[in-house]
Amino acid sequence: MAAVTYDEATRLYPGTPRPAVDKLNLSIEDGELLVLVGPSGSGKSTALRMLAGLEPLDSGRILIGGEDVSAVRPRDRDIAMVFQNYALYPNLDVAQNMGFALKQQGVAKEERTKRVNDVAKLLDLEPYLDRKPRNLSGGQRQRVAMGRAIVRHPQVYLMDEPLSNLDAKLRVQTRAELVELQTRLAVTTVYVTHDQVEAMTMGHRVAVLRDGELQQCDAPSTLYHEPANLFVAGFIGSPAMNMLPVSVGRTVNVAGAEIRIGDTPGGGERATLGFRPETVLVGGEGPIPARVRVVEDLGSEVFVHLVIEHEGGEHRIVAKVDPPFAGKSDDDVRLTLRGAVHLFDSTEVRRATVTL
Amino acid sequence: MTAAAVDVALKGRVGDPFSSAWRRRLPLLPALLYSIAITQLPFLVSIYYSFTNLKDKTQSLIPEPTKFVGIDNYKQIFSDPFFRQAMWTSVKMTVLAVVLSLVIGTAFAILLDRKFVGRGLIRTLLITPFLLMPVVAALIWKQQMFSSLFGVLNKALTFLGFNSVQFISDHPLGSIVTVLVWQWTPFMMLIMLAGLQSQPSDIIEAANVDGASALGIFRQLTLPHLRRYLELGALLGCIYIVQAFDAIDVMTGGGPGSTNVPYYVYEQSIGGGFRYGAASAYAIVVVIFAIIIATFALRVLSSLFKDEERA
Amino acid sequence: MKRGTRLGVGERRALVAGLGVLAWVVGLLWIFPVAWTVFTSFKTEQDAAAQTLHHGLGLGRYSDVSHSTAGTLSLQTAFTNSFVVVVVSTLIVLLLALPAAYALAIRPVHKWRDVLFFFISTKFLPVVASIFPIYVYAEKWNLIGTRTILIVLYIAINLPLAIWMTRSFFMEVPRELIEAAEIDGTSLVNQLRSVILPIAAPGIAATALLCVIFAWNEYFYALQLNFASGSTMPQWVISNVSTRGNFLAKLSAASIIACLPVVLAGWAAQKRMIRGLSMGALK
Repeated sequence: MAAVTYDEATRLYPGTPRPAVDKLNLSIEDGELLVLVGPSGSGKSTALRMLAGLEPLDSGRILIGGEDVSAVRPRDRDIAMVFQNYALYPNLDVAQNMGFALKQQGVAKEERTKRVNDVAKLLDLEPYLDRKPRNLSGGQRQRVAMGRAIVRHPQVYLMDEPLSNLDAKLRVQTRAELVELQTRLAVTTVYVTHDQVEAMTMGHRVAVLRDGELQQCDAPSTLYHEPANLFVAGFIGSPAMNMLPVSVGRTVNVAGAEIRIGDTPGGGERATLGFRPETVLVGGEGPIPARVRVVEDLGSEVFVHLVIEHEGGEHRIVAKVDPPFAGKSDDDVRLTLRGAVHLFDSTEVRRATVTL
Repeated sequence: MTAAAVDVALKGRVGDPFSSAWRRRLPLLPALLYSIAITQLPFLVSIYYSFTNLKDKTQSLIPEPTKFVGIDNYKQIFSDPFFRQAMWTSVKMTVLAVVLSLVIGTAFAILLDRKFVGRGLIRTLLITPFLLMPVVAALIWKQQMFSSLFGVLNKALTFLGFNSVQFISDHPLGSIVTVLVWQWTPFMMLIMLAGLQSQPSDIIEAANVDGASALGIFRQLTLPHLRRYLELGALLGCIYIVQAFDAIDVMTGGGPGSTNVPYYVYEQSIGGGFRYGAASAYAIVVVIFAIIIATFALRVLSSLFKDEERA
Repeated sequence: MKRGTRLGVGERRALVAGLGVLAWVVGLLWIFPVAWTVFTSFKTEQDAAAQTLHHGLGLGRYSDVSHSTAGTLSLQTAFTNSFVVVVVSTLIVLLLALPAAYALAIRPVHKWRDVLFFFISTKFLPVVASIFPIYVYAEKWNLIGTRTILIVLYIAINLPLAIWMTRSFFMEVPRELIEAAEIDGTSLVNQLRSVILPIAAPGIAATALLCVIFAWNEYFYALQLNFASGSTMPQWVISNVSTRGNFLAKLSAASIIACLPVVLAGWAAQKRMIRGLSMGALK
């Protein structure tokens, strides 16, 4: 069990103009579950593989437990990894798969068998111990991949989108089991995903990456309520945050309505106004006119897709309301903003948050 | 689509010329009929000849009428020491050539698996011996390399102060096996390269993370994965190499150490013996052996087919 | 701008470079006999026999072997014979193998495993076993010394390999495409033409190349079923082995000429052939 540090870690693939991972700085605490999240191409998998030793560093360092492991081979780093496609050894059965690393270390057969059986019990894999991977279902293979990592008692667990090949229901179920397991084992875990819902529900902290650069690393609620920039604000949360271009003054003009945001007079500079669906109240005598496009009734909540006339063009907005919702397509309604709204300046950095 | 599903789908009406089953068979018939005609008919004729004492009348000194001799030819085979020697030579030649070319081919494949400067060029060069005519390959080795008068090897040996070696006269089997291995190693290398490159890279990475050394990965994961490819290479190699003829004809013209069964049968028939009846009997015996070996090969093939179904 | 490293973590540059050097050494050694033969083909006979270089290099031997003398096999005749036999037999092999592969892969017959095994088993029979009956009947039908008999035999030799490989390439065609064509009522020929062949084309090219290689290089049938003056390229090469005087340089030139077409084809289609050998035989 150890802390992990990325210190200005950089990876540039030969022949490409921009680094895949650009001067990444992250400090992960012992026992923490840190999620690396971002769209494809953001460098999250590359960053994980650099920690594993499967990608070399072009500059910077990586530290595990305080030691610089940048030039250390994967097999000497005392880490365990769960791959996206599980990478189970096809010619070995489940027990041999899970015991493989122990065998390489020279652990005696009896102890190997005992440790494998313990983990098999933990993951409900006992009936499958002598099956080969090709005779297992996707969910079973995923558990074997997890078991293979857990058996090893390493310093760090690395997980590369381990749930993305499972069907939706199994994914939700396994997600919770994974969090439970990690809390119990209390081993430092670095977890990569492109799914922001997974990120939000699983990590102690979440690091958002974009084009190789770290955007923000914070607890999920901080990312949600205090996004550092426009990208994080738009990436985290589903449905995505609503965003409108505005000019900043004491008020901002939204679809013709003047919304008061503060006391200091602004100079009229351009900014982006961001507000989450739950801050949009539909109905009543609100200041903002809108038209309903589509109503999505999920049972426990309702998402109303609206369109407004703002600054000479049409903009789409999503509102989250509690059921029941009486409106339907093409209705004209009026909106009110209530709750936290954010202002992002022209460099996309969040400058202010106002509670309406 | 699994074979089981195919079988279920095929329970159509057999016998009706326009039924699904016959429509499926139709495209197959030209090739099938052609193969049967050209390969099976001569075989049947050979069986007939093997029960006669057929000789080429223009070649033999004592003219004999052709008559049915029952199994005399077959009885003679088992008391023929030269035939037994030819069988033994066949086994030695085939096993040596196949095993050596497999091992060396695998080694080359491992070497060529990594990227390095000029990899494509080296691979192109290595393939070349396989593309040459077998007679040309044999001639190159006979005249250029092994020759006691002109040969490069002997010139190098004498230059270094050693005695020259009569490669072909003293080591007939070795010389032929050398040529066979030289030509077939590229073929095996290509098959093994395909095998190496078909191994998913994330499995190797997982093994690395799990602490396995390069040798450990090869032994525990790569070799088992390569088994299908090794079997295929051995199968194809045996099929072609057991029939080796060109190299023997060119390099040694027969002779005790280097005559394999095909060459012996040739010598007994068109190659000088002109005893077609007897030669046919030899050929039939060889075919029986081939069928026995083929049954064994069938097991290898079915496991290849079974893997395909499961995949 | 930094260039980024290609070495893996913990890999020593010296070791990796060393493997590359080893591969070069191995490759060059393996090709040495061929390279030396090419070199020899430009020498004079004296130089060739003595394995030295005194008289300079030139194309003299190539023109020597290209000129025919009466009564012996000429390069033109042998080349024409080989070319016709190889092209015609390969075309017919493909014509037979493609539908057969369809019947074994796309809409398989009931006993496809047995049929496949039958085709492969025809290669287990040694060629020398059937040569005499073939000779007798070829003589009866006046086919000795013709291209026809060789074409007929080469088709039989290459058919199993062609069927096996083509079938594997057909198995690669996604089922949905075939099913869509079936729903549209496309005939077999059109299915082959518009759906299957475009996808399997590289594999079929590899198969054709292998058939060309085996047919061009075939020696035994060509030897037995031809008169010395009417044969194919392998026979022509042998005819340059002389009992009088030195012949090594001429033989080398002849060998190069004879092998060049197939070698060049093999080089050009290398990647296809690799893909063909691996997938064709394995999947």
